[in-house]
Parts: sequence; C-alpha cells; structure tokens
Amino acid sequence: MKKYIYKVSALVLFAGVLFTSCDPEIEGFEPSKGAKLDFTKYVAVGNSLTAGYQDRGLYREGQLNSYPAILAQQFAFVGGGAFVQPLFTEAQANGTGYLKLTGFNPPANPGASPSPILTPVTTNLAVRTDVAPLPGGPRLTKFTDTVNNLGVPGMSVLSSFTPVYGGINPHFERLLTDAEVGQKNYITKVGESQPTFFTLWLGNNDVLTYATNGAVADPNNPFSGLTPAAQFQQIYGALVATLTKGGEVEGVIANIPDVTSVPFFKTVTLAAVRASAGNQDLNIYFKDGETTRIIAAGDLIPLSTQSALGRVDMIQTPNGTAPIPHGFHPLNPLNDNEVLDVNEVKEVTDHTKVLNDIIAQVAAANKIPVFDVNKYFNERFAKPFVLNGVVYSSSFITGNIFSLDGIHLTPRGAAIVANEFINVINKNYGASVPKVDETQYRAIPLP
Amino acid sequence: MKSKILALLGSTLLTGTAMAGGYQVNLASQRQIGMGHTGTGLQTGTSSIFFNPGAMAQARNGVTIGASFITSKIAYQAPETNTTVNADNPTGTPFHAYGVFGITDKLKAGIGAYTPFGSTVRWGDEWNGRFGLNELSLQAIFVQPTLSYQLTDKLGIGAGLTVAFGSVNLQRSLPVENSNGDEGKIELDGGANTAFGFNAGIFFQATDKLSLGLNYRSKVDLEVEEGDVTFTNVPAAASANFQPGTQFSAALPMPATLTLGISYTPTNKLTLALDISRVEWSAYKELRFDFTKDVAGRPNSVNARNYEDTYIFRLGGEYKVNDALALRAGAYLDKTPVEDGYLTPETPDADSRGLSVGIGYAFSEKFGVDASFLYINKKERTDAANLSGGVPGTFKSIAYIPGVAFNYNF
Repeated sequence: MKKYIYKVSALVLFAGVLFTSCDPEIEGFEPSKGAKLDFTKYVAVGNSLTAGYQDRGLYREGQLNSYPAILAQQFAFVGGGAFVQPLFTEAQANGTGYLKLTGFNPPANPGASPSPILTPVTTNLAVRTDVAPLPGGPRLTKFTDTVNNLGVPGMSVLSSFTPVYGGINPHFERLLTDAEVGQKNYITKVGESQPTFFTLWLGNNDVLTYATNGAVADPNNPFSGLTPAAQFQQIYGALVATLTKGGEVEGVIANIPDVTSVPFFKTVTLAAVRASAGNQDLNIYFKDGETTRIIAAGDLIPLSTQSALGRVDMIQTPNGTAPIPHGFHPLNPLNDNEVLDVNEVKEVTDHTKVLNDIIAQVAAANKIPVFDVNKYFNERFAKPFVLNGVVYSSSFITGNIFSLDGIHLTPRGAAIVANEFINVINKNYGASVPKVDETQYRAIPLP
Repeated sequence: MKSKILALLGSTLLTGTAMAGGYQVNLASQRQIGMGHTGTGLQTGTSSIFFNPGAMAQARNGVTIGASFITSKIAYQAPETNTTVNADNPTGTPFHAYGVFGITDKLKAGIGAYTPFGSTVRWGDEWNGRFGLNELSLQAIFVQPTLSYQLTDKLGIGAGLTVAFGSVNLQRSLPVENSNGDEGKIELDGGANTAFGFNAGIFFQATDKLSLGLNYRSKVDLEVEEGDVTFTNVPAAASANFQPGTQFSAALPMPATLTLGISYTPTNKLTLALDISRVEWSAYKELRFDFTKDVAGRPNSVNARNYEDTYIFRLGGEYKVNDALALRAGAYLDKTPVEDGYLTPETPDADSRGLSVGIGYAFSEKFGVDASFLYINKKERTDAANLSGGVPGTFKSIAYIPGVAFNYNF
C-alpha cells in the first residue's frame, strides 16, 4: 500500500510541477502598423519641443527622452527602423547648459509658496569657443550626419523658409555643413530626409516668441513677431507638400498650443506675489503702452519677470532719487515686455487660432490627421488629472508635466504627449501602435 | 498574547494569498478542498468546527492539522500596451488545525485555528502601478473554541467564538524622486487589535441519505491602531510632506458568510455535496488610512472599494474505493465582489473557477492522510479602475494549490 501512496504522490507532484510552469497569458493587444503605414524611416519635424529641449536648455538627457525618441521606440514594435538624433556626446552631455532645481527658499511669509532655486548647469557643454557666436547664441558642436529628429529649438514656420536662418540659429547651424550654412533652408533639409512616416509640430514660435517677450517684437530679430497668416499659409503648405510628396507619405500634424496653458504664464500671479510679500493690498504696476496700469485679472506675468519683480532701482522722483522696488510703485512699473496684458493675451490667442485654422486646412487638404494639441493642453492639463496613481497638472514644478522653464515638457510630459500622438495614429490609420509606460520617464527630481 | 501566537506559528505559515473572491481564503480542510470545498451539509469530522459547528457533535474525538501551498500567478497588461507584468508572489501557506473532544455523548468541545482571510501580492517597484501598490501582505488567523450539542438523533447545533488576529503590510512608491532618480516609498505596517466574532451552525440529518446544514460566520473587523508609517528615499525638499514618526490607523472588514449545504449519499461508497454561500462583501466600502501627521498634505488616504455581496456555488463528491482509500473531486464558481471601475492591484479579482481533486488514505482506524490539489482560474478582466484609484488594465490570475493534512482520532 505504501508503494501505491508513493506512486500517487509522485504523480500529484509531477502534475503540480507541470501546472506551475504555466504562466497566465493575457489575450490582449496585438501590435500592428495597420494597412497604410510604413515606419521604416520616421522623421520628426519641429522646434524645441521636438528636439527634447527642456529646463531652458538642450542637453543629452532631454534629447534621449524627446517625444519623437519615445515614439520611435514604440514604432519599433510595428516595423519601425533606426532613429538617429543629433545627440550631444557623453563628454558634452550638458549641451547648451540648462537649469537645475537645487533647493527651495522657504516662504517669505506664512501662506506663501517656497520659491525654487534654479541653478544653471555650466559644465560639460557643447558650446564652441573656437568660432564666433551667431546672432542666436554661441555655436554648438556640429552633428552633420543624416538625422531622423529634425527638431530645431527656435525654428518657426517663418524661419523654416529662409536660408539665412542657418547662420542665425546655432541649433540649425549645427545640423548643416559649413558650406550649407546660410545657403540651405530648413524645408530643404526636411525634404532631403525622405521619410516614410513623419510628425510635424511646428508653428509655436510663430506666436510664442512674441508672447514670451510680453508681446513686444525685437526690432533686431525678424522672427520675433506674430507671423502673418498669409505668409504662414504659404510656407506651411510648402512644408507639408514636401513631406507628403503628394499623398505618398503619411504622418501626423500637431498644432499650436495655447500659450496661456503653460506654467510660464500661470505661475506668477498677483495672489502669489501678495502672499509672498505678506501684503494683501500690494499692487503691481506695469506700462501698458504709454500709460501705467495696475495688474488686474487677465494680465499675465511671465515666469521670466519674476526675478525682476521687486528689484530695488534708484528712481528719479520730484524729491530726488529714491530706491523703489520694480513693479510695486507707479514710478517704477514693470516694462511693457515684462507683462502679457489682457489685450495682448487676446491678440496672441486669436492669432494662434488663425494659424491653427490654417494648419487644419492644410492637413485636411493633404489628408493628414491632426493632433489638436491646443485642445489637449487646454482640456487635459487645465485641471489636475490622475494617471497611474500620479497627479499631474500644469502647475510649475509640482505639476510634473512641464520642465523648469515652464514651457517645455519633462520626459514624463513627453511620454504623455507621445501616447497622445499614438492615439491619433491608431485612431486615424487603423493601427495598433503600443503605448508607452509614462511612469518609466522622470518627472521633476527634487533636491 | 497576539504576538506570541504569531511568533509561535512562524511567519511563513501566515501568508495566505487571496485566491477566493476578494481577500477570502477558502482552504479550511484538505478533504473538503478535494470536494470543491463543500462541507456545510455533511459530517466533515474535526473540520466541522469551520464548516458547520452544528455537525461537530457527531465528530469523533481527534485532531487534524494541514496546510496548503499556494502558487499564484497574476499577469497584468496596461491598456493598449504589449508588455506583460507578472506579479512575483511568494508561496502562500494557509493552514488549519482542529481538535475535538467529547464532554458527554451529546456535547462536544472543540478548538480550531485557521486562516480564512489573507492576501499576499508582490508587484515590485518598477511596474506602472507602483504608486498604487508595490506589495501587500494581509494576514488573519482565527482561533475558534467551539461547543456543539446533539439535540436529537437528527439535529445538531453548535457555535464557536472566533478570536481574530491579524496584521497588514502595504508598500507603495511615492511620486517624488530625488536627484539620483530614486523614487520615494511608503510602508504601512501594523498588527491588528484582537477582534471577536462567532461561527454558528445547524446540522440536520433528514434521512439516511440526505443531510442539510446551515452555517453563519459573522463579520469581524480587523482594526490597526498606531501602525508604523515608514518613508524612504524622500528628497529633503519634500520631507515636510512625509514626516518620520507618522502613524496610521485603518480598519478592514472580514465579511460575514452564510452557507447552506446539502449532502446526498446514494450508496455507502458515494457522497455528493452542494454548498451555496453568500458572502456579505458589501461591508467593504473603502480602504481608508488615517495618519497622525499629514501625508502629502492630507490627514488620510481614502479609496472607494464598494464591494458587492456575492455567491459561491460549490459541488463535490467523494468515492470510497475501500475502507482505507477515498477519491474526491469537486468544482466551484466564486463570483467576484469587485464591481466594474473598482479593480485594484491588491485584489485584481474576477469571477473564479475552481477545480479540485483529492485523495484520502486511512493507515489505520486512528491515523489518516488527506491530500488535495486545487486549480483556480480567474476570468481575464479589463477595468478602467477609475473609481478605486486603482491601476487600469487587464489582469489574469491562476493558482495551483496542493495541500496535505494529517488526522488522528482517539
């Protein structure tokens, strides 16, 4: 009988081992590129957002985590090919330099927020000292191999048309051979890339440069105004035609987000300044054209104005020179370019809408789907939302989507945006490109 | 008292991976597991302490000790992704021990210890749901002194006081990272206050062939007070939000279960049994932790659960090959208490189907061994988890549960 028991036990044990080696399987998602798409050569066309610019700089980590790099990684599951980015080397990993969060100043007064200490990173840069700087800044180490990520910080639709721009913008200059600088425009460079699939997210700088400068165009910079609609339409049409080659090549077009949806314009508010000063009666004065006005609802103070606010200047008064804090007194108001007032906000948002309408028309004419970033930023980021147990918002630093410059995305934000690109691709092309786990990308590390 | 008992039993014995609905663990007897875990409407020997104290009056004096070894596997896939995450669950070993002693012919006393609830699930700290859960270990041991009285030849009643001991350990990642890229972590760890409930039953031998049983196990609330909250890797800039020395309190209901059992014995060799249980899961409304110091600016953490009452249907049979050898088989369907929108990684529950086989062998009049093997397959379930603060996606669980028990009668 004992023998029998052993036999049964051995059998049970064997069955147990057999069963336990089986893992549960999920009949889930089958990655597929659909019938129409070919990801063999994906090319990303765009500006700083496409390049992976963040924390007020372009550096290797941001490049590695750019939304096109994330997209290319996901496209690899459905036949995507190699994706070359103009990466800064490890030795020059800090690229242009960038801002790092190194601490917080405690709140000046009860109820105020602690203010972040942002320290520039100035080591291991890719800045060239062997040549003269360009009007747009010092030149950067070149990368003239063929690249898939053609994101150029500063690039606008307007500047994409002029060959001169290669001699102005160091980010564009670094992608060109010396012979091409000043001779080849961005559209030509885009055309040479011969993609089989593209994303195009350009046009932000046709309004943003103007907006971030308080709606004051720089007379020395022809690309600092609002690009006129007619000109925008003409160049944008040429750009899309170059990419689609008359309907041969598919892609996704992203439009221009509302500038007021980013923390750059939403962080320094009258309420925050009053709390910080511990004075609920404090007013902020600014120059609105020829007159001086008090900041009211709808007037936006850019993040870049924060450090100037309250700066003690020696001001000539009827009673002689006196120290007066900048912005807190009618005799020392904020400058016109330090505030985007309510009328200027309207001017910028209206013009954004005009340009987005053109983008929609050109996209429709070329049968290319549009990722409505404007709507997405306004609706998704307008109020805090939860993703995989993490709360996100468009708040500065704590919101985790926007980097330390208040405009560009963190790697986490880039992954969230990449997933939205994938949504648009899957929906419009009947594809099943797998989404990325955004939690694998960093948000804002704290000191 | 509590800590002594826990230490005595050893920590490995305490882990029960929830493989029944919710965090219930229905593995109370090897003989009964073999029969699809039926047992309320029949004489189950010493394990009547658990299945139906009303039937204990007819049990022979004796002791039983047994354990199951749960290998549970859970796979997860986030929505519209192609990567599968597998939970790395440790082997769970729920156990039971029963002893029955006659006081008079009609009155019997018994004591049992068993693990009717528990859950251990370990997802790790890299998956996309880590801010919801890294790992959870929930342990509960019930000790139940019981009396049973044979009112008439046909009718027995019994009741026991359940004394519940438990502990919980829950670990999550925090959505803050330091400059090295390390994410913060929170660990909640605490022992529950000793809690009390009861287990009562009636057993009715209607005819020679037909018997009925009704059993009610009451709800027990396990409450943790002054549990420890430990934070690690919290960046200095966020330290005010996650202060050392924080303590938590929480309560978790172990829901009441009402079971009706019927047994039919067409021949001397064959026993068939049917159990229908109603588990009052609606007692579990929310998972709430109250903190002594604000955590991330909040004095508590509350996530809705809103479980619903469910039914379990069980069917089992035993065939006695001869006086010594018995073969068993059974099946059950355990409906999930988790409603749509409320799925969580701590209990990624779905309707579960169980299939079991068992074998019993009596070496002598006094000594016998029972072995069982249970296979549990939960339906693949996709949920948005938008109402529970859970992790959206698709979950699929299976479990293999061999077990062995020894019984000695005197």
